[in-house]
Amino acid sequence: MKYFWGIFFISLHAMVPLVLTAVGEIIGETAGLFNIGLEGILLTCAFMGVVGAKMGGPAAGLLIGMGIGGLIGLIFSIINTYWKGNQMITGIGVNLFALGFVAFGLIMLGSPGFQAVPASGRLAPIQTPVGSLSPIIFVALVVPFLAHWFLKRTRAGLILKAAGETPEAADVAGINVNLVRLLATTFGGVLAGLGGAYISVSWIGSVTKEISAGRGFIALATVVFSGLNPLLGLLGGFIFGFFESLATWIRNLPGSKAIPWQFIAMIPYVVTLLVVAGVVGRVRFPKALGEPYKRE
Amino acid sequence: MSADARAAGSRWRSLGRRTLTGLNPALESLLAGAVGLLVGALLMKMWGYSPVKAYAALFQGAYGDLYGFASSLARGTPLILTALTFSICVRAGMFNIGAEGQLIVGALAAVTVGYFTLPAALHVIVALIFAMVAGAAWSIVPALLKTARGVSEVISTIMFNWVSHFLAFYLVANILTDPIRGEKTISVPLSARFPLLVRGTDLSYGLFAAVAFAVVMYFILWHTVTGYEVRAAGLNPTAARYGGINSRRTMLLSFILGGMGAGLAGACIVMGEPPTYAVFSGLGNIAGVGFDGMAVAMVGRNHPIGIIIAAVFFGGLTAGGRIMQLTAGVPLEMVRVVEGIIVLAMAVPELVRLFRFIRSQFRRVLGGRSAQ
Amino acid sequence: MNEAGETRKKADKDGYFLRAEGITKVYSDGTVALKKVTLEIHPHEILGLLGENGAGKTTLTKILSGLLPPTQGRVISPHGPVKFSSPREALDFGIGMVHQHFALVGTFTAAENVALSHRRPFTRLHLATTRKRLEEMMEESGLRVPLDVPVEKLAVGEQQRVEVLKVLSRDVNLLILDEPTSVLTPLEVDELFVLLRRLREAGKSIILITHKLKEVGSVTDRIVVLRHGEMAGDVRTAEATSERLARLMVGETVELIGKKAVELAEGEPARDEGAVRQTAQRAGASVLHVEGLAVKADTREIAVKDLSFDVYGGEIFGIAGVEGNGQSELVEALTGLRKPTQGVATINGTDVLGKDPREIYRLGVAHVPEDRWKLGLVLPFTLAENAILGVQRWKEFRGPLSFLRWRKINQHVRELMDRFGIQATGPGAPAKSLSGGNQQKLIVGRELAKDPAIVIASQPTRGLDIGAAQYIRNLLLEMRDNGRAILLVSADLDEVLALCDRMAIMYEGRFMVVVRPGELGREKIGLLMGGVAAKEAA
Repeated sequence: MKYFWGIFFISLHAMVPLVLTAVGEIIGETAGLFNIGLEGILLTCAFMGVVGAKMGGPAAGLLIGMGIGGLIGLIFSIINTYWKGNQMITGIGVNLFALGFVAFGLIMLGSPGFQAVPASGRLAPIQTPVGSLSPIIFVALVVPFLAHWFLKRTRAGLILKAAGETPEAADVAGINVNLVRLLATTFGGVLAGLGGAYISVSWIGSVTKEISAGRGFIALATVVFSGLNPLLGLLGGFIFGFFESLATWIRNLPGSKAIPWQFIAMIPYVVTLLVVAGVVGRVRFPKALGEPYKRE
Repeated sequence: MSADARAAGSRWRSLGRRTLTGLNPALESLLAGAVGLLVGALLMKMWGYSPVKAYAALFQGAYGDLYGFASSLARGTPLILTALTFSICVRAGMFNIGAEGQLIVGALAAVTVGYFTLPAALHVIVALIFAMVAGAAWSIVPALLKTARGVSEVISTIMFNWVSHFLAFYLVANILTDPIRGEKTISVPLSARFPLLVRGTDLSYGLFAAVAFAVVMYFILWHTVTGYEVRAAGLNPTAARYGGINSRRTMLLSFILGGMGAGLAGACIVMGEPPTYAVFSGLGNIAGVGFDGMAVAMVGRNHPIGIIIAAVFFGGLTAGGRIMQLTAGVPLEMVRVVEGIIVLAMAVPELVRLFRFIRSQFRRVLGGRSAQ
Repeated sequence: MNEAGETRKKADKDGYFLRAEGITKVYSDGTVALKKVTLEIHPHEILGLLGENGAGKTTLTKILSGLLPPTQGRVISPHGPVKFSSPREALDFGIGMVHQHFALVGTFTAAENVALSHRRPFTRLHLATTRKRLEEMMEESGLRVPLDVPVEKLAVGEQQRVEVLKVLSRDVNLLILDEPTSVLTPLEVDELFVLLRRLREAGKSIILITHKLKEVGSVTDRIVVLRHGEMAGDVRTAEATSERLARLMVGETVELIGKKAVELAEGEPARDEGAVRQTAQRAGASVLHVEGLAVKADTREIAVKDLSFDVYGGEIFGIAGVEGNGQSELVEALTGLRKPTQGVATINGTDVLGKDPREIYRLGVAHVPEDRWKLGLVLPFTLAENAILGVQRWKEFRGPLSFLRWRKINQHVRELMDRFGIQATGPGAPAKSLSGGNQQKLIVGRELAKDPAIVIASQPTRGLDIGAAQYIRNLLLEMRDNGRAILLVSADLDEVLALCDRMAIMYEGRFMVVVRPGELGREKIGLLMGGVAAKEAA
């Protein structure tokens, strides 16, 4: 029983970047843009979070992370709406750029490969009798509900769905499809940026070149699992976060030495693969996803 | 402006326009390269470095002397192959992001030939075959998932990358370990190594293997029926179906060929890289080659010839980057930043047209009389 | 020629809602869709807009409803000129269009689709209010639609009603309907007309685009006929006869040939249509035999109903008719792209339905598709690469180890270029650099090289300039003279009349009649194309 809280809390922590990024991408994909550069955003903003935290404390770190995430999202969407670019290649470019930028930036900060956030820059956790929780966890719990309400119950949500599903009909109804997609994906970038900054400022407390560890792609898998429903995105994020925490927990089990740690580390990725393979085909994506919109 | 001057001006413009359209693909790559280097220069300036000094050191280091040039080619060798992985699959209409992982299993498979002996030439060939089979095996599962279940190959190949990442850690530390030095695998034996091409450098005959593979891929794609079908299905699946082409088959085939290429890349690294000829537990010598290959593929316009040229360029960036770090003090990670910007620039189609559009907007704002 | 002058005099007394003056529309690829069309729209009126395919009806209404800008000309209202830069502006002004291919978001319900076009940005979705309003409108208009089902699950007729409700909910004064009855059952058509009459009583203007003569006669007050982008006639319905309308729609043969001769003189050397036609008697065996064929369209409606016919060797069998009457589905069923629901079709005795396109090729069927870019060509490929599409595995092109014999292929392509006059820089030219005509010649050449038993040509001269079109037509005749069977589907009536030995007129999935071209006058043909049955036309 004493393990339960441990696993549960680690899962909650692990789910935050997944849920935030996934919900952001859900909004973006609902409007029609497919962003595989999420990994790059997470990585960049984890790094920028450290930079911000060093300069102005945890709040600055988180805000800068969100800002940079939004900026990257903005650049991505401009290239892929008004400039009719190729979404896949743009996403790959973002990822490559992030790899270089973060490695470069770490060197600039003076400690190649690793940078810890000073205690003054860490976000104070909330203490409970059974463990500590990051406040951002609560943000990650609330955001899906807000997003769900937004998509289902506001006219803006309707507009987003129209832009992604049948942009021609949206155009006829007078909606500026490119602008809608731009706003949606920029906002998705902001959420992913928060997720990235959270990793360094609030959770792990440091940043390395590989801190994102494929979470951007696991978030994409979460989006697939969610079928573009933010609430299911929350569930999916928690499930994947759980498997991530499982890896840590198994190591503490007696007899765990028998299983090599490398295989345990593989678990989140294998699970992601299985979930996507099992779920795909049953979910339905916006018809115009991934296609740039050209009038007539 | 006199009528004559205007006429002359328009003659120049139409000449320029004609050349631009003709050179379009290559020009886009050059333009993207220029944009990348420019932004890199800006970043360097921001951080207080001298871009001129840095780039001078970079290019001098990469192409200035034999040693540098050999290094560039050596770095470029595996890039040719991982770029082909991406490109072959792009030609078939798919995005294979798994070169990274396929390369790792290829390298590990090549290393296993150290457990038995064979005459030299045969040993090399067997090692290459092992590597290619391993690479193909690692890439076929995502392909099957896509054709059978419609799973996005982007997600599946990335997941496979991470699985192979950890699998490699395990194998290096436990199964394939060098009994003397625990942080690496056994070395590829002498009989299975690529001899050095240029003494004192790390350029080996692996370069020829890579170029040979590129040439073979060129012939397959453009000179065989199968390659033709792959390309047709990638460009217009409906018309291709009409022409009797089974696009599922072509997708699977492209992944197999791509996996072979990546596996071969892994082999070239471990079989051609002095002094250790092994895989290290940190995967230092093989990490990142898969991703860089994608940038090379895009700049090389997904064509084997372009890829070879682009690979030499990107290899030069990496090799020269080291010199740049030594001489001008700019960390070599800047190279990857530049790469990322280049790819972003390539994502905008018709970059040239965008460029012209911006220029025409300038004209409209500045000169009313010449506006048309 | 027309009574536009008299009608206009009357309208000036009554006042007009909107007036289009001298509207000309030239598309970016040079197609002239409309030429100086002037039209007046009055309140309390249902105006029928009649014309064949390509006459310009949809283009004109797109301009009126703000989707397209005119190249020349203007639109004025009693308050001054109006200019719309988006459909929303037109809607705000009071013009709403119900498109032929609905502008609905499939996954939305009817209520959500209507809410989409309303002007209340970003605030809470007052779906409840919208629903209430919709229900009121349904009462008023008599249109019933399930409000909470995703629109894509509704029957096509219901979807159309959602479109109409969507437009009505914006309080429009001009309602434009583009071929609304093509997807409705007769009962639904009646209901729609009842609604239209009610709207007219309320003072609204309605434009009904159609090619169906009977309908236009039953519900409109005035009829405007467009032909080849020009105004051909403006008559009051009460004074129009089907014959007259048909004549206005398809024109006089004499006049048409005269016009074509003029256009030809400016371009290619003229090819006299009379000399081109050789009406020798052919008596080949039946190559394509079709019996009881029924095919469903994508919308789950039945597009082809119980069709039976034969095409013989050495003849051109033409299927004329306005597009959308099942021709595409028929061709798709015969070429392996669509499974029919019932019926039999054989090529020289071998069953052909439900088979793979490649098998159908082997049976001797060649296909010149109506959508060259989607089905016929791989645009980024070179000429040579496109020329072998479908036959890439032939022994003469394939060497050992599956290598392609480019030398042989290029030689083959050069022969094609020679024989068919394909203008290009060489076999290595990318297909997308060719003009439409040359692309089509490439496709025809490629298909012919397969030495087929039957060639199915679907809209083969669409989008081609006069010279290229004439060339293709001569090719078809040549093929026929060499004993092949040809099935020609074309919305261009002149083409069918000039080329075919036998022709059928297709309307709503059936053949109205199968005759020799000379047997029926143009007028009767126009009637049949408009759905007026043979005996009524007599």
